[in-house]
Amino acid sequence: MSTLLGWFSKACIIVFLIVMAIITLLPVGLAILNSFKTNGEIYTNILSLPTTWQINNYLDVFRRTHYLRSLWNTVFLVTLSVSGIVLASSLAGYKLARTKSKLSHALFVIFILSMLIPFHSIMIGLVRVANQLNVQGKLWGLALIYVGIGSPMAIFLYHGFTKNVPQEIEEAAMIDGCNGLQLYFRIVFPLLRPITFTIVILNTLWIWNDFLLPLLMISNREKHTLLLSTQALFGQYSANWSQILAILIMAMLPVMVVYLFIQKHIVSGIAEGALKS
Amino acid sequence: MKKMVIFFMMFVSFVMLSACESRSDSDTIELNVFMSFPRFQEEFEAYFELFEQKMLEEEGIKVKVNLEMASSDTAQQLLQARLSSNDAPDLYTLHAIADIPSYYDAGYLADLSDATFTELVFESVLESVTYDGKILALPLESLAWGYLYNKDMFEQYDLTPPLTLSEMENVVSVLQANDETPFLLAFQESWIPQLMMALALGAMINSEAPDFIDNMNVGTGSYADISEVFDIIDLIMANGTDRAFETGGASGSADFANGEAAMWVQGPWMSGSILEVNPDMNIGLAPLPVTNNEETTMINLSTSTSLGVSPTSENKELAIKLLNFILDPEHSSSLFSSLKFAPLATVHDYESFSWTDEAMTYVEAGKAYLERPLPPGVTDETAVALQEYYLGDKTRQQVIDAIDTAWRNAIE
Amino acid sequence: MKHKNRSLLLYCFPALLLYATFVLYPAVGGFWYSLTNWNGLNPTYDYVGFANYRELLNDQVFHRSLRFTFRYVAYMVVLQNILALTLAIIIENLRRFKGLFRTIFFFPNMISMIVGGFIWLFIFTRAFPFFANSLGIAILGESWIGNPQYAFYSILILSLWGSVGYLMVIYIAALQNIPKPLLENARIDGANEWQINWHVVRPLIAHSITIGMFIALFSSFKVFDQVYALTGGGPGRATQVVSLNIFTEAFAMRSRYGYASAKAVILFLIIMVITCVQLLIMKRKEVEL
Repeated sequence: MSTLLGWFSKACIIVFLIVMAIITLLPVGLAILNSFKTNGEIYTNILSLPTTWQINNYLDVFRRTHYLRSLWNTVFLVTLSVSGIVLASSLAGYKLARTKSKLSHALFVIFILSMLIPFHSIMIGLVRVANQLNVQGKLWGLALIYVGIGSPMAIFLYHGFTKNVPQEIEEAAMIDGCNGLQLYFRIVFPLLRPITFTIVILNTLWIWNDFLLPLLMISNREKHTLLLSTQALFGQYSANWSQILAILIMAMLPVMVVYLFIQKHIVSGIAEGALKS
Repeated sequence: MKKMVIFFMMFVSFVMLSACESRSDSDTIELNVFMSFPRFQEEFEAYFELFEQKMLEEEGIKVKVNLEMASSDTAQQLLQARLSSNDAPDLYTLHAIADIPSYYDAGYLADLSDATFTELVFESVLESVTYDGKILALPLESLAWGYLYNKDMFEQYDLTPPLTLSEMENVVSVLQANDETPFLLAFQESWIPQLMMALALGAMINSEAPDFIDNMNVGTGSYADISEVFDIIDLIMANGTDRAFETGGASGSADFANGEAAMWVQGPWMSGSILEVNPDMNIGLAPLPVTNNEETTMINLSTSTSLGVSPTSENKELAIKLLNFILDPEHSSSLFSSLKFAPLATVHDYESFSWTDEAMTYVEAGKAYLERPLPPGVTDETAVALQEYYLGDKTRQQVIDAIDTAWRNAIE
Repeated sequence: MKHKNRSLLLYCFPALLLYATFVLYPAVGGFWYSLTNWNGLNPTYDYVGFANYRELLNDQVFHRSLRFTFRYVAYMVVLQNILALTLAIIIENLRRFKGLFRTIFFFPNMISMIVGGFIWLFIFTRAFPFFANSLGIAILGESWIGNPQYAFYSILILSLWGSVGYLMVIYIAALQNIPKPLLENARIDGANEWQINWHVVRPLIAHSITIGMFIALFSSFKVFDQVYALTGGGPGRATQVVSLNIFTEAFAMRSRYGYASAKAVILFLIIMVITCVQLLIMKRKEVEL
């Protein structure tokens, strides 16, 4: 009896899991399927296979989003921002952890407190500052802003990680005649690699998928990121779902591909980051 | 490990360098144009390319027009963000009657009185972009509008556009009796329900309530004084299509083209989208009756989207050349007719559209008025308040209070 | 000592400079604007003291968006954590396909909520009515975007879809950190699965639950993309969350920059108070366990 009950509850759990998995994948699956149809076919039957596969939807979108250009802009923006965040906050986080002074403590608290400031509270002022400094409308300017906003979290993680790294290695290197920055780049930065990896993943995901800040900062269409071109095109097609879906799939494509290849690393990096804080 | 660090540093510096480099292509002049016409993106892009060619051939200047098309929902927020942070585009679209006064007062519009296009635009249209004695924008859309109706459907049931509210009730009941939906409701975008109030209010202040705006501006008026406007709004809302909040301008055009409803309170600016879905559609245009007084049933004459130049533009001369080029004798007609815009300048020699002709029969009979500006923010509040009215979130009195408050805030 | 602090400042300089310029300065500037009547257009404005804050006390629209946001946050914190923890426990107990299911459930986190929002818009407005007709499920035929009651759940579904995987991954990692012998001992002592989960596992992952609650609370207060893409705050203003309310107030044409800034300051204070309270309570609980 009890084994039957056990078997039954196990089956229920498996069914629940599979149903949840289907719900999770269905929206994207339906989007892919219908992006190959004509608009008329979508209206008659969501689930049917396309009578002819409309590759044209994709070719059209590819051309009109200036796909490669937007993709390059996004890659450029993310690379620059994430490198900046890693460089600036590993320096700061490491040194803050190694220095015991009132100043060090105060700086750390200032950085941490701001993690509570919601973006919408600084949005209005940020637009003005960006303009006063003439960094608006420029991808590198946007990257600087991301470094400013993204650093506190990264510093927090570097700070926590550094505390668990034994100081003996640094001391030994110091005796060998390494000076400050040399020591940092030759010895310390490599030691921080695990947490650097986590920080790269967290920030890449954030910046790649961020929408509002680029929307406010980048007006020139030649500098549009993938999301901005997607959103702009969304407005133009608003009733034509087959083309909209093609746009959305194209916008997801790079992330999907990357995810398929390194999903294990991404997932472990994220778990690491959260549990460390 | 060392290699990795060096590689990393090299990469960072490479990226930084390329960032700086990509900005300096100095012999090209860039012109930033901000527009709120996402559905016309291709047309304008092609037209601006013509302009780039012309500049290169005739004046030997390399021009690059950067067109930013914002969706109708975010256009205002974005433009506002750009203007207030001194990041103004060289040229941008704005509503001639609603926006020009406040934009000019804030110092965001350059005086264009000396530009050559001003000699080509019809006198009556030019007036609507003139403020403080200066011409401040190039009009793009000159309108004579009311509501759209499906001509074939009206003929099928032997109906003619009603001239009073009770005639309209009659039309509605005939349509209902024949299982047709009288009105198309596309309320997803808030500017669409707002059109009902624009027409009804315009009709009232140009007939029975001539002092309304003045009273409001000195703080003694209220929308309660013209509460008749809600009669027609109630009638439309009670006899409309389902799923109003899932239907926006584009899908509404498709529904209207497919005969889902007989009438749509919507301007002729949608005719392009409608004809794209159903090229054989017979679009009719008539004035919206508001009361049982036939005198109040009038066509609204207005100039909406216009193109202004920012006074801070570094390339003002070139921006004005672009404005002049929009009324270029050789190319302008094909642009305006493909956008389904009514002719507004002497260079426009294309055949006018049937709905414009229909509207003109009312105008010639004296049944028309010129739209007047409302204080900034009142239209926005009206738009959302009417959405909430349809939802049942707000009563008639609450809508009146909300708009009154918005008006008070605006004139403070 | 002096030398130590100087080199500390040197190392912190790049981060501090950018952080001060793009976070602290705008935050302080925002507070200053909240004390003025600046409209975002005019070059001049006046200092008005706390008038904007007084006006906020009677602003029904803002109150409503606050209420909506609170309701959304409450649902999100509870549902997101329950779902994530349930999935984590189930997946961790699987013998096969662990990796597969983890990959599937985490997948939506990779997608921007703008893109995800548009995809769900398609599901709610096209697929749901279709399934309602073909499968005869009446509830799917409701107006999931146009009816305020349902629109709330639409936003909730989208948000859960996009965020459960993130917490699930954290919980899985926490479960994996539990020493296996501990569980086996409990089993030998005759505890059933439920007892094990409650008495052994729960205290051990209490810290992760604190983190999960914190992440859910913090991210759902800032919700923007989901609502922007799915309903745009509509119908009417029925689903206008605070962040969207600030955005429209600040950048609409009648724009009241100062007033919008006051709202932004309030949002900051609310988030700060609530997260601090939450962290304090949870920390105390953790200690008790």
